[in-house]
Amino acid sequence: MTRAARVAIIVAMVIVAFWIARAQGPAGPRSAETTPRLADGTPNLGRVAGEKGVWNVPYIQNMGMRIPGPDKTTAVQRAAAAAAAARAAGAGARGAGGGPLGGGEGAAGGARGGSKAEPDVPFLPWSRGVYDYNSRNNSKYDPEGYCLPPGGPRLMATPYPMEIIQQPEHKRILMIFEGATHIWREIYMDGRPHPQGDELNPTYLGHSVGRWEGDALVVDVVGFNENSWLDYYGHPHTDLLHVVEKFTRPDKGTLRYEAIIDDPGAYSKPWTVTWDIPWRPNAELTEYICQENNRYQRRLTDDFGEPVFGSGH
Amino acid sequence: MRMQPFAAAGIALLLAVVPVVAHHSFSAEFDANKPFKHTGVVTKVEWQNPHTLFYLDITDDATKKVTNWAFEMGSPNGLMRNGWTRNTLKIGDVVTVEGSLARDGTPYGNARSVVLASSGKRLFADSSQGATP
Repeated sequence: MTRAARVAIIVAMVIVAFWIARAQGPAGPRSAETTPRLADGTPNLGRVAGEKGVWNVPYIQNMGMRIPGPDKTTAVQRAAAAAAAARAAGAGARGAGGGPLGGGEGAAGGARGGSKAEPDVPFLPWSRGVYDYNSRNNSKYDPEGYCLPPGGPRLMATPYPMEIIQQPEHKRILMIFEGATHIWREIYMDGRPHPQGDELNPTYLGHSVGRWEGDALVVDVVGFNENSWLDYYGHPHTDLLHVVEKFTRPDKGTLRYEAIIDDPGAYSKPWTVTWDIPWRPNAELTEYICQENNRYQRRLTDDFGEPVFGSGH
Repeated sequence: MRMQPFAAAGIALLLAVVPVVAHHSFSAEFDANKPFKHTGVVTKVEWQNPHTLFYLDITDDATKKVTNWAFEMGSPNGLMRNGWTRNTLKIGDVVTVEGSLARDGTPYGNARSVVLASSGKRLFADSSQGATP
């Protein structure tokens, strides 16, 4: 290896370590400001009066890597810690702690391990097959690539900033998203139940009712259609999907997100995913309209070489 | 490949800090194992969602044949967060672009960074690659 290449690798490792530490590590001094609160003491999940700021949603590509284990850490956190430990142990230990689940987030060259690499995801046989298919074709048919909205937890995993706007006087909370399709969701805080039977219309974002449990905003969501994936890697879901989300703000700089994915149509038992979303002070949302000129749809061909979206009538 | 240490470190930096914007599957269209670095003359800029595209006339050093290439970047909002405006690239500008080639072998690539020859300024292209495999 040339000296130049060694320099490049060392620089990259240091930067990546810093980046991971900043994105996932315990809150540093910068973000250690206490949780802001509304006048009535409820945690403020949005801006402080007079300030700007947005939630800088990270790119969570594979929720199979975000399942907390018995020690409450996720595979991504364990891999980052192991890599840091390996670096601390010296160059000879390079890679000793790596190898996250046979090609998870950040794997190079498109190598993806599919369902076999994710023992913690309780696949049913059909969802396992669909997931492996999506793994093999590199998520070619991802609905977000068609400019369709993310549904469920993927709203908090699609890397465009978002804001949470609390309106206690209206007994609702609004979440507005710059991407993937410039959408908003309304969380009813007035104690209403979900609509029943045919009154529950299947939609991309589902029907959300929320409540406060201590300092946690707990949102119960049902009524999803089947047009979205749970994540970029292509974990499927059905219209039986029921998501319970928990939002907390342990300090001003951090939104902790947790979601229980309960879909008996696709998984044998509920599974939980979690990650942190950093606050980006002084930032504002801007316009992003995915549908403007999506050439990907024009180029996309199916497994038989035919245009997915047809030549049109 | 012979590479200056600082150039190599610069590329490592790019790989590490590029902000990520997702749209379609990066891996389905582009091959992260096929990096490129091309210099050419801007012929067209399409400042639009979900991806801004720009086109370069690139002359092959050996054959002198000129090919018009297309390069995909992020969306205007993401590019503006990275210091771009709709007038950053002008027709006739000479630029050097780095990124990943399309899998289908056409003269098309995903741009990760662009350097303007006139100023030497390097701008990140808000690539959809980022940490995507």
